[in-house]
Amino acid sequence: MRLSASIPEPNVPLPNILRNNGLLYWISSVDHKQIGIMYLCSSLIFFVLGFSEALLMRIQLAQPGMTLLSPELYNQIFTMHGTTMIFLVLTPMLIGFSTYLLPLMIGANEMAFPRLNAFSFWIFLFGGILLYFSFLAGGAPNVGWFSYAPLSEKNYSFSPGVDYWAISILLMGIGTIGAALNFVTTTLTMRVAGMSLTRVPLFVWMIFVNSFLILAAFPVLNAGLVMILIDRLLHAHFFTTASGGSALMWQHMFWVFGHPEVYILALPAFAIASEVIPVFSRKPIFGYEFIAGSTVAITLLSFGVWAHHMFAVGLGTTFNAFFAATSMLIAIPTGIKIFNWLATMWRGSILFSTAMLFAVAFLIEFTIGGLSGVGFALVPVDWRLTDSYFVVAHIHYVFIGATLICGFAGVYYWYPKITGRILSEKLGKWHFWLFIFGFNGTFFVFHFLGLLGMPRRVFTYPDLPYFGSLNLFSTFWSVVLILSFMVFIYNLFYSLKQGKPAGRNPWNAWSLEWLTNSPPDLKSFTEVPVVQSRRPLRDIRDSVQSGISALNETGVEHA
Amino acid sequence: MQYFWDKIERFFSALFQAASPQAEDINHLFYQFTIVATLIVLIVAGGVIYSAIRYRAKKNPEEPAQTHGNLKLEITWTVIPFLLLVFFFYLTVKAMKEINQPYAGKKPDIVIIAHQWWWDIRYPGKKIITANELHIPVNQKLLMEIESADVIHSWWVPELGRKTDAVPGRQNYSWIVADKAGVYKGKCSEYCGTQHAWMLIRVVAQTEEEFEKWAGQQQKAAVTPTDSVARAGARLFQHKACASCHAIRGTAAISHMAPDLTHLASRKTILSGMLPLTDANLRHWLQKPQKIKPDANMPDFMLSPQEMNALTKYLEELQ
Amino acid sequence: MPRYKIFMFFFLASEAFFFLALIIAYVYYSHPGGDLSATAQYLDFKRSALYTFFLLASSLTIWLVGRVSGNKKKFFRLFWISMTVILGLVFLFGQGSEYARLMQTDITVSKDVFGSAFFTLTGFHGLHVIIGLVVLSIFLLMTLSGRFRSVEKTVLESASLYWHFVDVVWLVVFSVVYIGAIL
Repeated sequence: MRLSASIPEPNVPLPNILRNNGLLYWISSVDHKQIGIMYLCSSLIFFVLGFSEALLMRIQLAQPGMTLLSPELYNQIFTMHGTTMIFLVLTPMLIGFSTYLLPLMIGANEMAFPRLNAFSFWIFLFGGILLYFSFLAGGAPNVGWFSYAPLSEKNYSFSPGVDYWAISILLMGIGTIGAALNFVTTTLTMRVAGMSLTRVPLFVWMIFVNSFLILAAFPVLNAGLVMILIDRLLHAHFFTTASGGSALMWQHMFWVFGHPEVYILALPAFAIASEVIPVFSRKPIFGYEFIAGSTVAITLLSFGVWAHHMFAVGLGTTFNAFFAATSMLIAIPTGIKIFNWLATMWRGSILFSTAMLFAVAFLIEFTIGGLSGVGFALVPVDWRLTDSYFVVAHIHYVFIGATLICGFAGVYYWYPKITGRILSEKLGKWHFWLFIFGFNGTFFVFHFLGLLGMPRRVFTYPDLPYFGSLNLFSTFWSVVLILSFMVFIYNLFYSLKQGKPAGRNPWNAWSLEWLTNSPPDLKSFTEVPVVQSRRPLRDIRDSVQSGISALNETGVEHA
Repeated sequence: MQYFWDKIERFFSALFQAASPQAEDINHLFYQFTIVATLIVLIVAGGVIYSAIRYRAKKNPEEPAQTHGNLKLEITWTVIPFLLLVFFFYLTVKAMKEINQPYAGKKPDIVIIAHQWWWDIRYPGKKIITANELHIPVNQKLLMEIESADVIHSWWVPELGRKTDAVPGRQNYSWIVADKAGVYKGKCSEYCGTQHAWMLIRVVAQTEEEFEKWAGQQQKAAVTPTDSVARAGARLFQHKACASCHAIRGTAAISHMAPDLTHLASRKTILSGMLPLTDANLRHWLQKPQKIKPDANMPDFMLSPQEMNALTKYLEELQ
Repeated sequence: MPRYKIFMFFFLASEAFFFLALIIAYVYYSHPGGDLSATAQYLDFKRSALYTFFLLASSLTIWLVGRVSGNKKKFFRLFWISMTVILGLVFLFGQGSEYARLMQTDITVSKDVFGSAFFTLTGFHGLHVIIGLVVLSIFLLMTLSGRFRSVEKTVLESASLYWHFVDVVWLVVFSVVYIGAIL
């Protein structure tokens, strides 16, 4: 009996959505490209659920005292919105891109562990479906996406929502850890000849480093989750203060995971930007070593900042000052990246495809979001603004302004590779501009609402000056934002059939994924050149132009 | 034109209302930071937009110089932000020390116990227990002890300074001082369940005399009703299970599981700031609490109209 | 380094973080108010030390499997794998009897924070032992059937790494919990 599968012959095309090659083919696939596509599609479906929840919230909050949603329902919806967007939209989107692109960028035909890859996807999907099942099973979780104890304990939250939340995230976490193990092993052992770790595309480097963040942070979350489940289901006392437990222990455990988690969502976004910006500026990335090095710095520092989520808890001046210092420090490597991306554009020859528009918008939006974050590192400012709409502004400017925007950039950039067609630029521009107005219109005023004293997670608010008008303004623009998402989704489907056929390398990019067909065959590479620099396709182009073949005659082939 | 400037000015001053030196300290730190942050955003946005226009492909069709990096630039944009942050760290620690003055050994003037979804407010030195409405004399720095009887809440009155979490199992301490008389509105600021949105705070800062007058009134036991309907209400209160949760000093009702009602009628709002204290609102609340504030710990009592009348009359007399 | 080794190394590193979080929680919860919880006195150090010995012995036996290579020595390999499983089961039985004894004196996961932390930490270790025993049993069957010669080495090395990890975690847990309880 053989324990290993052989890869089909190269002339079998990749099962294509357009060619209807059978559901079973997809469900049983262990091919990293198919699994990547499935991650991206799942992410899209949950995205629709997540922004529908957001729209319901915005309508409820448009004016004071609205009764569209009861408080009980609203509280479930805001919890599900946060949990969905973070764990079911952004995470699988980034893992999907990584799963699809990592092997291609290093010239590999597969991930190190294809079956683990498939397992990771399916357990993630199961976790997501389980989470939504909670609506039918007695109530969705309603204690916020970070589920503070003792509110999340059985005596304060009797519906099984929190149990579903904890179990779903445990399952999704297992999937994420599996994916991270695959990324690390694949990057370390399957790079094509000549591609040392100092020559990998920055995307690969950042996913690689990010995987260590996942491997260290998710286990701590898992520990916290099993503790809350044991509390709720076996009547233990970890977080029940009345019986000797500690409410703060939950906060520490959660945020030791929670802060690295936001970098887990940010680093792959930075990875996408680091691919898109140079290609459309027709210059190499400025400061490759510094972007790579600052990524490592962020990874290490992110484990030392967690208590900045706890400045109002009363842990003392020395404790707070330490975390203020580390939280400020972590701004530096992030800033270094922004300046390097800007320097990449400087003196370039910039082509504004939709992907580049989004990447460029990312630079500005993320700077705003990042700076409002540094504001919170100033402890007294945090004492005024934490848990208010100012924080909601901050998190959306970083989650949307970095992760989602770079996600869009990634889609416009790699859709031709994945589907063989280019997304409509016209629809793309509509998407982009509607998005910019919608996003900023919705979220910028949240800074003001926070300063005015509107707390977060409220199903309504008193009729205080400016509260109603600012909320109404935000709701109006949130409709525009959602319209932009609909244009995007329409574009995805429209361009599948009507998009301009892409060649292998429509953007004249330099990394190895552009060497394959669009879409790649099931066996992506039959021959890969020995890599001699950070931009292998550019070397091929140059040497072909100068008449020397750069293809190594031994034709390196990887299983 | 002037009209718009006025509007804008009024808006910005609303954002930064401060009635306490603590709040001023926070605002100053915030202004300083916002100025630097805005400059950085302008530099980045400016750089991006300038590059987008100046170096667009149409005007720069040739392949550009393939610069890989510049060590001097890297050092510059590492060192300058670092120095800025050192400066802000210094300002931060300075402000933290200003706001978090030591309190060791001092007995708290005010004890706040947060509940789902109301605030139990006590003045241990003066033997006053009230709910949801905090009165303080202006210009006096008072020490608050903040704790919780159930889940995590957070005491937040933006115009008076910092917020402090109410964590079950621990006591947090915070100074409060108002430098102008007035009414300051606050809110619970840590999600605490269904009615988190309606756990408001009302701080009334008064002159010394007015405060003493208020405190004196609060120290007294509840008024004994003279009116027969109100007296019926008082009896109903003791017999109808109200007394098992609500306290009225001077009667047999001594439980503090729910807001102290001894001087209910002296307060301006009910239900933790959700509704103004009016006859109609009291009646609506007594009739169907779960409809007004669902999930609140007060069950529907199904009172008859006479009972409702009596109770309302009684409660309204509790000045 | 072969792929499976890299995988196992990082997988075990992530499991180590999981146990570290539970150990930190245990240290905190076993000292309510700063002093060791009174419930800790009910732990049986000597008994646990005995069963620890069995678990350590099982690490030795699995190491011995690797030392016996070659087609003729299949019986010895089977013997040592079986011994590993048996020793692992003895350990589980031992810890199980410790649990039973504690629960009879009403010390359960819901008694107090010490109970919660103790049973959670040792329980997850026990769960990892059970998973290890399942893997080892499958490996035993694979070796027995003789049809998996090509992957035996990989499976053995992966399972060994896991099993040694489980052992090391137990040494740490034992020190923190049992030695910590008698200090």
